[in-house]
Amino acid sequence: MDDDELIAAVAGGDDAALRELFSRHAPWLAVRLRAVLPAAEVEDALQETFLAVWQGAGGYRPAGSAGGWLWGIARRQAALLLRRRGPAAVVLPAVFTRIGEQAGDPAEAALARAELDQAVAALGPAGGPEREVWRLRYLEDRPVAEVAELLGVPAGTVKSRARRARRVLQGVLRGGPAAGGGTK
Amino acid sequence: MSGTDAGPPDVDLGRVWLGVAAQVWRREPGRAERAARRLLRSPGLARALVTTPSLLLGWLIATAVVLVAGVLATLGTGTPYVPLLAPAVAAAGIAYAYGPGIDPAWELSRSLPVSDRMVLLVRALAVFGLNAALGLAASAASGAAAAVTFGWLVPMTAVCCLALAAATLTRSANIGVAAAVSGWVIMVLAGQTAAGRLTAVITDSSLILPYLAFAACCGAIVLYATRIPRGTS
Amino acid sequence: MNVELTDLTRRFGRTTAVSGVTLEVGPGVFGLLGPNGAGKTSLLRMMATVIPPTSGRLRLLGRDPGSYARRREVRRRLGYLPQSLGYYPGFTVADFVEYFALLKDMPPGRVPAAVAAAIEQVGLGDRARAKLRTLSGGMLRRAGIAQAIVNDPDLLLLDEPTAGLDPEQRVAFRGLLREFGQRATVIVSTHLVEDVGAACTQVALMEQGRIVFHGTPAELTARGEGSGAAGDAPLERGYSAVLAAARSVTAARA
Repeated sequence: MDDDELIAAVAGGDDAALRELFSRHAPWLAVRLRAVLPAAEVEDALQETFLAVWQGAGGYRPAGSAGGWLWGIARRQAALLLRRRGPAAVVLPAVFTRIGEQAGDPAEAALARAELDQAVAALGPAGGPEREVWRLRYLEDRPVAEVAELLGVPAGTVKSRARRARRVLQGVLRGGPAAGGGTK
Repeated sequence: MSGTDAGPPDVDLGRVWLGVAAQVWRREPGRAERAARRLLRSPGLARALVTTPSLLLGWLIATAVVLVAGVLATLGTGTPYVPLLAPAVAAAGIAYAYGPGIDPAWELSRSLPVSDRMVLLVRALAVFGLNAALGLAASAASGAAAAVTFGWLVPMTAVCCLALAAATLTRSANIGVAAAVSGWVIMVLAGQTAAGRLTAVITDSSLILPYLAFAACCGAIVLYATRIPRGTS
Repeated sequence: MNVELTDLTRRFGRTTAVSGVTLEVGPGVFGLLGPNGAGKTSLLRMMATVIPPTSGRLRLLGRDPGSYARRREVRRRLGYLPQSLGYYPGFTVADFVEYFALLKDMPPGRVPAAVAAAIEQVGLGDRARAKLRTLSGGMLRRAGIAQAIVNDPDLLLLDEPTAGLDPEQRVAFRGLLREFGQRATVIVSTHLVEDVGAACTQVALMEQGRIVFHGTPAELTARGEGSGAAGDAPLERGYSAVLAAARSVTAARA
């Protein structure tokens, strides 16, 4: 059964489907949560996540985005936990740039930052081609011509690397097992 | 769980799943069970009580249907059917209070801290009480005289004890029902032959002591039959 | 010592099922072997407080189960899987295990977690809410094992627990035995000699109500060497050798 079918089964009260869903998705969800929370709280958040899945599976609209849906629930549970435990529990520094200001909430900010860090890590090691293009083009906001000159590559290469980087980031941020995090 | 050893090394996914499963698999006690827990001061006895076959909703509905039919028949014909039906229905309920979950052929029940005799007692009393209440309500609804309204409680006790004795002795709820119902039918017909009325077995006050003595004998048989489970190995 | 038996005897009418058994068992996995009718089940039943002994002394978990209150205490710390286990077909596996957890006087707050753990431990996690009547014989047996272990017993008594289990499940089961044997006394009555060899630290052999051998599986194997007794495996040969010796003694006496 694919994920959509499993979630539909869970909505129908099939606990064996929930068990299968857990064994497929808990590992990568745990990895993502671990970037933000200490181990003991990852366990709590994960448990609450799947209990929420058990109760809320009826609200899932099948669109092949089970991973994103699951991560959304896990994220909410993690934020709840972080808020309950206060700013001290936040693993990463809560102060960041536009993300932090927009969120206005340290828990949300921490999660957003963790997600972004993981996404960026998927671009490859620091100093690698996509990473550099991303840094120069999007973080430092330089025009294409300047980036091409700094990296010593044609403008077309800069554009195609930028496109590739965007695609990778989008894929990771949307969620799913392949977005489990960690660099290649 | 196999297959959950991926994930961060310091996160115990097996334990997480057990936490989820514990909530998903549990049977949340209903109001009746929670009340029984407080009353009996034993969650085990309470669970045994609410799983009594003859206290399940289907059985209760069937009992109510039979008694309502009796009421209607009485209102139609004048013969008090409820006092005649109630003992038989109660006896069937008692025989099936003894059954899955405490059948001593099911040896396990004899190694448990909540003893099978306690379970049997609590179940039998609950079934008896419930049937008595339903019967009284039906009897009053059919407008019978006071003697008939209450008079069948003692014969009902005797018939129920017979059901329980037969069931525990033969280790079969079905035999318990058969013995009790046939015994009661014989009594009713004998009463009719002797005194000309179907309700003779209920209203004749000289029968009270014999009924109670009979019930006591059956009680002794139940104690004996539940003493030791069968087995020669 | 979790189990102390002194000259324990059990009679049924004119039959003597258990005759003068003296045994002390501490933590670990203890195998009870013997042919059918040897008295293994009666011995187990006495240890499960299902039937009282006819004579002799019995102490379980440091208590005398003769008195009602002590017996109740022992039963709370006991796990028992009889040879034939009845079940209510309409119950689910989880209902079944939960029912016995409650009847073992477990605190209700601890029951759901213990039930989940027991069900996963016997490998029925994907069938927890399946009705018992839909299960195969081997699965029913595993449900029976689950109810026996749900209260984390100090004394675990299993009568022919591997009946109906396939080889892979038997291996998993032996792992479970070893795990419990770390902190509890596990007594397994079985006629499958290879189960014993793989998991048990101590073995006793019963014949006609008496213990005719008590030692380690290695010692039992040693009894079979050079004796020419029947058997495909060394442990089986030891088993046959001891039985043959015991029977010739009985014959000589008669």
